[in-house]
Order: sequence, then structure tokens, then C-alpha cells
Amino acid sequence: MTEGRPGERLRVAIVDDEELARRLLREYLAAHPDVEIVAECANGFEAVQAVAEKEPDLLLLDVQMPKLDGFEVLELLERDVPVIFVTAYDEYAVRAFDVHAVDYLLKPVAPERLAEALARARARAAGVPRRPLPLAEIRAAAHAAPRPLERILVRDGSRVHVILVDRLDYAEARDDYVCLRSGGKEFLKHQALAELEGQLDPARFVRIHRGYLLNLDRLAKIELYAKDSRVAVLSDGTQLPLSRAGYARLRELS
Amino acid sequence: MHPILAKRRRLGLYLLLWVPVAGLLATLLAAAGGLPAGAAAALGFSLAASYAFVCLGIWYPCRVLPLTPAQLPRAVASHALGALFSSSIWVAGGALAAALLSRSFGPRDADALYGTQAPILFAVGVLLYLLATAVHYLVLALAESRAAERRALELRALAREAELRALRAQIDPHFLFNSLNSISALTAADPPAARAMCLKLSEFLRATLLLGARERIPLADELALVDSFLAVEKTRFGPRLAVEEEIEETARRCLVPPLLLQPLVENAIRHGIAHLIEGGAIRLAAAVEGGRLRLVVENPADPERARARTPGVGLENVRARLTTLYGPAARFTAAERAGGFRVEISLPAQAEGSHP
Repeated sequence: MTEGRPGERLRVAIVDDEELARRLLREYLAAHPDVEIVAECANGFEAVQAVAEKEPDLLLLDVQMPKLDGFEVLELLERDVPVIFVTAYDEYAVRAFDVHAVDYLLKPVAPERLAEALARARARAAGVPRRPLPLAEIRAAAHAAPRPLERILVRDGSRVHVILVDRLDYAEARDDYVCLRSGGKEFLKHQALAELEGQLDPARFVRIHRGYLLNLDRLAKIELYAKDSRVAVLSDGTQLPLSRAGYARLRELS
Repeated sequence: MHPILAKRRRLGLYLLLWVPVAGLLATLLAAAGGLPAGAAAALGFSLAASYAFVCLGIWYPCRVLPLTPAQLPRAVASHALGALFSSSIWVAGGALAAALLSRSFGPRDADALYGTQAPILFAVGVLLYLLATAVHYLVLALAESRAAERRALELRALAREAELRALRAQIDPHFLFNSLNSISALTAADPPAARAMCLKLSEFLRATLLLGARERIPLADELALVDSFLAVEKTRFGPRLAVEEEIEETARRCLVPPLLLQPLVENAIRHGIAHLIEGGAIRLAAAVEGGRLRLVVENPADPERARARTPGVGLENVRARLTTLYGPAARFTAAERAGGFRVEISLPAQAEGSHP
């Protein structure tokens, strides 16, 4: 049943929150001697951690899972890991294609379909040299559906923070990163401020300055501190610079 | 179209009703007026025949003047005027006939004898007119109630159809696919468990189809359906899914629309338990308090979960069905609270057997 070349092992991580679904994949994979299961994860957090630690060659990834869904897991990965989606939902197929999934298997899974998908993964591993992960595309696809964004995911080593957009006070541009301020805590995310701005609800988040994106709910008042120069004062007392263009945008919204 | 003129048989029956009236008029003219029997009969018959058709005409004003409280004074005035006017014309017509009779072959004083009875004839004309008005209103009311009944039947059929369609949509195909995947996983490793799950799944599907076709079912039956659903989901979710039930015995006998709780429990799993790594317990409660049945479905939820894009098709469905079936007598609240989600339904408590 295996088409793997001798010595070429395929190191696989199974990610599914249902024990029985993992068991089924385990059983099917046992028929492929070149496949080695290096990790079994019951949720997205575990998957992100397992990819970092075990560096699998292939992810068998469910979409609907606690904490992080399959697409969010991909967004947080920093390595280009080939993925086979395994889900009962057919509506994610287009998004899966957009993130360059190797294959898309529907539950209940047929062993022949899994074998086909594995063959495709082996061909990809053997043939095309690894191209860099198309991070921007993956991010765009990951957020293709729920727009505007409701939660922001931040990776911190092997940990993942989930910041609800409601709780985000403001975001500040810092070189290649954005610094997200939420309830007195700071989170650094590798993303451009303009990209984040595009993902958030423009009626709630306003670019008040080249370097600052503000949650309007947090704005307490605007103070004039010099001629033609203003600061935005947040409800917790934080002061943020307010550019002329930013002031104009705020006035447009109010 | 006039309901009596619409069918020949009805018209015949109607005219037959006027024969005794003709006899009565003839008797009046002969006995009180002193007209010879032949002349009285001829006059009585023609008077009755002509008035029969005049009275048929009342149907049209009756139709445009419904007896609603607002229209009542206008209707009474119109019909009173109509009665006086029609009766006058009628009596005058009778006088003309009597005059013709006295000039031709009848008794010479036929018109004079008729004249003595004119006031009584006028009163009879007014009464007959009003009687005919009352009969017409009765006919109209009967027709209206029949039409209303038909409309209600049609509406009920429509609602029923919509409900069945909604029920079919409620069985989530993903639930089926995931369950089949679990069965597939069990077949090799644990065949008895696979068989048990097949049976649980069939039980749930059969109960859904069977109970869904009924209008009201005892809460006990709905709870059994929910239990078979939960049995399937427990196989899938394992120890992540727990259930706590607090069901009062009196509540079990209350009647509820079928598939009232099942979609709520399904939501509790899909939007609650499924998002929690450790899972949690769904709480089901039913109690009767002060003549009302109170149902509660509660589940823990991850406050950081990604929200469903369209807020609860299942919830909206249940809410809409309750509104159709109970109107304002049903209350439905769904709210996020302290790390969880809670749906509460309050209905008039109807025990089995007390329902028509």
C-alpha cells in the first residue's frame, strides 16, 4: 500500500479533538509502514506546540476544534508544514485550497482517500523543493470568513494568546511588529499595523496616528496641548498622539 | 352572486317558503277585508310573489352594511328606511292590482276593500322586510364563518408544512457525518461499541421522524429523544461531555412541541462544550410553577471562542415555533452569563389528556 521510498519516513501529526477520530486515522495510518505518528493533539494549542517541538512532515488537521480552529493553527505556524484537512464540513474546501492544503478529506474518512492524500504529500515532499511559507496568503485566507476579526491570535514561543477584539485597547506599530495593548498587558505580534487595521471593524478601530490604532470605546477625551497639536486620552488615562489626519478621521466618525 | 339565486333548487325552496305567506295575505284580505275568495287569492298570491323578489334584493345592502358596532347605527337606519320604502311601494302596487281587478272581472269595490287593509298590509310588509334582513344577515354570517374556518385550516396546513421543513433542516448533517466517522473508528477496535452506537443513532433518528410529525408530545418523550441524542454525542466526545438533569415528575407529563429541547442541547454542545478543551456539563431542568412549565438548558462556554457568524439558527427556529404555537403566552430568553450560556423557556403547563 505504501509508495514511500525506502528510508524516507513520513512523520505525521494528527490533530483532532475527538479521540475516536484520532483512533480511526491511527488505524488507517498503520497500513502505511513509512508513516510515523510523532504527535497526537486534541486541540489547536497542542498542535502549535507539537509542530514547534516535533517538526512533523505532515499535519492531519481537523477544522472545528476548541480554542484554535485548523486555520488559526496554520496562521500561527512558522514553518511550512504540508496539511491534509480532515473534517465533516465541506464548506472550508475553498479556504483549504487557498492555504495550499495537500488534500481535503471529508468525514467519514475512506482509507483509499487517505492513501491518495498521503501519496500526494509524499510526492510534494520528494519533488518540489520547499518554498517559503506564504504567510500573508495564509493569513488572508485564515480570515477570509469571519470579517471583521473578532479575536487576535498571538504566538509567544510555544504558547498562544487569544485577545478578544472587544478587549483590545489599542495597537502600536513597532518596526515589523504590532504591540497589542489589552487590559494593561502587552502582546507582540509579527504583523504590519496596516494589515491589522484592514482586518478590524473600521467603525470601531481608528488609525489616530501613523503608529497607533485605537479602539474607539476606550477614547475618553481629546486634549489640545499645543497649537494644532492634540492627544487622545483613554479612559485609563493613557495618552496617545493624535495626528491631524487621525483627528480628521475621528471627527468624521462622530 | 346572491347565494339563493346561485342555485335553482335554493330558489325553488325559497319561493316555497312564500306560499304560506301568500295564503296568509289571501286570508287577511278575505276575512278582514271582505274580498271574495278568488280575488283575495289572486291578490295575495301576486303580493307574495312580488315581495319575494323584493326581499331577495336585501342581500346587497346587507353585504355592504356589516353589523359591526361602528356600522350598526347606519345599518339600522338604512334597513328601517328600506323597509318603509319597500313596503310603501309594495302596498301601492297592491292597490294598483286591486284597482285593475275592480275595473275588469273582480268585484267593483275591490280597490276600496283593499284600501281598508292597506295599513295592516303596510305593517306586514315592514315586518317581512325586516325578517328577510335578519335571515340575510344569518346567511352572511354562516358563509363568513365557513370561510374563516377554511382559512384557518389552510393556515394550519401551511404552518404544519413549514414546521416539518424546519424539522428536516434541524438534523444537522455534520452531526451525522461525525457520528458515522466515530462508528467507523469503533468497527475495528471495539465492534460491540460500534454496534451500540449504530443503535443509538438509529433510535435518535427514528424518534426525530416519529415525534416530529406530531403536534404536541409529553416532555418525557422529548427528554427521551434528547437522551438518545446525548448518548450518540457522548460516544463522540467521551468524558468531555457530561449531563446534569433536574426534571420534576409533574413536568414530565406536560405537553410540549416536539424537538423543542433537542436543538437547544445540540447548540449547547456545538457552541459550548465543543469549544472547551476539558469539556463540561450541560444542565437540563424542568419544573412546573404556578401553572407554567419552565425549561432550562445551560452550558459552559469559552469566553474567548470565535462567535458563530450568524447568531443561532437553532435558537431562532425554536423561538419562532414557540411564537407560532403559543403567541405571547410563551416566553423565551437566551443569554450569555458568567462563563456560560443559558436558555430559558416558559410555557403554559398543559398536562397530557387536558389538551384538546
